Amino acid sequence: MDPISLIRQTPPGMQGIAAGNPALQRAIDAAGQGTLDRIPESVMQQLSRPASGQIPGAGGPGATSFENVLGGLVKDVAAKQAQSSATVNALLAGGDVPLHQAMIASEEASVSFQLMVEVRNKLLESYQELMRMQV
Amino acid sequence: MLNLIPGIQSTSSALNAERIRMDVVSQNISNAQVTKGPDGLPYKRQQVVFQTVLDSQIEGGATVQIPTITTDQRPPILVYRPGHPDADTRGMVAMPNINIHEEMVDLIASSRSFEANLAVVKSARSLAMQTLSIGKR
Repeated sequence: MDPISLIRQTPPGMQGIAAGNPALQRAIDAAGQGTLDRIPESVMQQLSRPASGQIPGAGGPGATSFENVLGGLVKDVAAKQAQSSATVNALLAGGDVPLHQAMIASEEASVSFQLMVEVRNKLLESYQELMRMQV
Repeated sequence: MLNLIPGIQSTSSALNAERIRMDVVSQNISNAQVTKGPDGLPYKRQQVVFQTVLDSQIEGGATVQIPTITTDQRPPILVYRPGHPDADTRGMVAMPNINIHEEMVDLIASSRSFEANLAVVKSARSLAMQTLSIGKR
């Protein structure tokens, strides 16, 4: 069964879900009348946005959004990896780099990479948990 | 920047300082018999001076550095060796003011100190890894 026919069969009791969201209400009404094909474009655009404005934390430009934080972490890890390989290369090329500095740099890179992997695992786990959720 | 391994900055600087100290000790030992340096005088013992540097990049962090390597001003040791080319009219040769036992003790202290700092790095790393394993199942 495709999603559109599912919406068309929306029982009357489900109308309450759309309470407080006029756009969704109009969409459900339209679906109930078999007029889904004629939902105006503006309604569809409204639907694709959250009902009550911005989600807190996912704010405008410059805000410390989750995306920025995650991107910063990945950038930091990449910088550590680059620094580590530069130090090791300099050591192997006979540069003035002490052995311990190369080892410490590579350890730092390894630990931060581990942290990134752990964060990624956690995120994926919670995403999969959400996808498994019964509706 | 991420700072996942605690105290790594000061430990790294201390390792560096100990390395320089070991360099200086080895220089002293290898030059213990040198009666004529570039300046025509016997080699003079070098010693390091450690100094704490407050690092503004780490919060409350104090790193170690060696600002200067000073020269030991003790007089040279006079040894009676009449056949030596650098002997004076009385047959005395000025040997460097190096006591090999002193240098060995310095070397031991330096290597133990290096080991202590390595132990700090190892333990800090293992703590960080164990903390990360909180997330594992």
